[in-house]
This record gives sequence, C-alpha cells and structure tokens, in this order.
Amino acid sequence: MADAPDGIVLRRHRDLAGRQWHPWVRRSLLGLVALVALLALADVFGQRPSSARTTADAATLTISAPNAVRGGLLFQARFTIQAHQALQDATLVLGPGWLDGLTVNTIEPGPVNEASRDGKLALELGHLPAGAKHVLYIEYQVNPTTISRRTLTVELDDGETPLLTTSRKLTIFP
Amino acid sequence: MDIVLRAALAYGFIFFLTRIVGRRELSSLEPFDLIMLIVLGDLVQQGVTQSDYSVTGLILAGGTIALMQVAVSYLNFRVKRLQPILDGEPIVLIEDGRVLERNASRERLTRGELEEQARQSQIASLDDVRWAVLETSGQISFIPKQ
Repeated sequence: MADAPDGIVLRRHRDLAGRQWHPWVRRSLLGLVALVALLALADVFGQRPSSARTTADAATLTISAPNAVRGGLLFQARFTIQAHQALQDATLVLGPGWLDGLTVNTIEPGPVNEASRDGKLALELGHLPAGAKHVLYIEYQVNPTTISRRTLTVELDDGETPLLTTSRKLTIFP
Repeated sequence: MDIVLRAALAYGFIFFLTRIVGRRELSSLEPFDLIMLIVLGDLVQQGVTQSDYSVTGLILAGGTIALMQVAVSYLNFRVKRLQPILDGEPIVLIEDGRVLERNASRERLTRGELEEQARQSQIASLDDVRWAVLETSGQISFIPKQ
C-alpha cells in the first residue's frame, strides 16, 4: 500500500469511517428543497386566485383573488356584483388589508367616487339596476418589504346601508 | 435593514445549496452546472435587491455578503469541528491505480469522468495514478506513481 498524501487520513478519507451517514444528510436536505418546490406547486406560496361567493337578498358578491402572494408580485383582485334588486348607489367598502403595503396600479372601471369610511376605502360604483352585473378589477403589486398574514374585509353597501359583508385571508411571503 | 437581511439569507441559502448539491457540481461547468451556478446568481440578485437600484443598496448587499463570507471563513478556521460541515472533507477516489467505486459513486463520479480528469492532468491511464483525491473545492488531485 502506498503512503497516504499529507493531510489524508486513510481511515477517514478512504474508508470513510464515521462518514457513512453523510450522504443521507445531504439527501434529506435535498428532499427538503424538493418539498418546498412541491408546496409551491400546491400553491402554498401563491399566487393562484381562488373565488369566494357571498349572497344576500339584494346582491351576490364574488371575489376572485390569490390567498397568498410574494414580495414584488403583480396580482389581480376581481369583484363581481350581481344585483338581485336595484341598488341606488352600490358601494364596495374595502378594509385596510386590501391596501396596506400594497401598490394599487389601477382600479377598472374607475369608481364614480372614492372616500375614506372609518379608515376603509369606499368605492362608489353608482346605480345598478336589478339583474345587472358589475365587475370591478383592482390590479396590485406587493411592496417588496411587506410580509404579513392579514384579513381582507369587504362590505357591499347601498349608499351607507350594508347589504353583505365577507372576509378572506391573504398571506404575503417575503 | 431589509436588504441586509435579504442578503444574509441569500448567502446562507446559496451556501446551503452548494453544500448539498455535492462537490462535483462545484468544479465542473457542464451545461446543467451552468444553469445551477449562473442562472441562480441572477435569481438571487432579484430576491436580494428587488426594485432597489440605489448605490446604497449595492453597498449594503455587497457589504453584507462580504461580511458573511469572512464570518464563515473565520469560523471554518477557528472551529475545527465545523470544518467538515462548512468546508467538507477530501475523499480518496483512486489508490494504486484502483478506483474506489464506493467513494466515486458516492460523489456521482464515473470511471470515464475520472479518466477525463486524469488526462487533463497529463496522466494517460488510471493505472499510473498512485492517489486521486476529490478535494473540498471539487477539484480532483492526482498523484502519479513514481
């Protein structure tokens, strides 16, 4: 047997004594990386939209938006109002979670009026006849420094009369 | 503050990745390794600086990564017990012309790849190799028979 080079301990570096388990550590950690990728495919980290519908006597509100997003991502929230009876002044009232730490790129179609109502954003959509459908799009970008798990509240009013209220969760990953 | 944390996290994650993918990927630049090493760098940049185009951001991110590098290097130097974790350990691949199959397969190295590396070290046959050692850098050292 040839003499081992300096710094090489045959028992450790050739026979791998005490190192038999090292590949399993590496494989386990690689498995962890794969698990994170699988979770991402399962939409744990966003940004696939999900829809939720809330119905009241006067109207049905359907919200389509992601439940999870990440810093810097562009995403869309879609609010569909189906009026069952005439609404004189349909108003969507969005809680602060819909705005805090997010950049609103655009709201389409533009509301008739915007106002702050107890710290919430009130978007006046105008008159909706019975049977009419109004779809409101809000385009967002997540501010890169925002990290949170928050509740997003939405209220549909006729003027200042609440018709229905709903909420959903949004998780913002770094 | 945010960019410092992002840079530190990015350094830690890349260090973690380079340790778990194996040393073979560190030394070679095969097509798939190019994807791993070069494209990853671009992806990391976006995660660290995001939409910060400032010189201040550059100084913060670059400085943080440099400090992390010095810290890891210092730990590796001072704490012997951490060396196998931070730096890894060499593995003998060939002894007296005989390929140690178990050790080579552990690092996903084929006989053909060993022969290629030997040729690059001006060694025509593995039979002429006294020792071949996969170093912690991912390079293979060949010590020819006298």
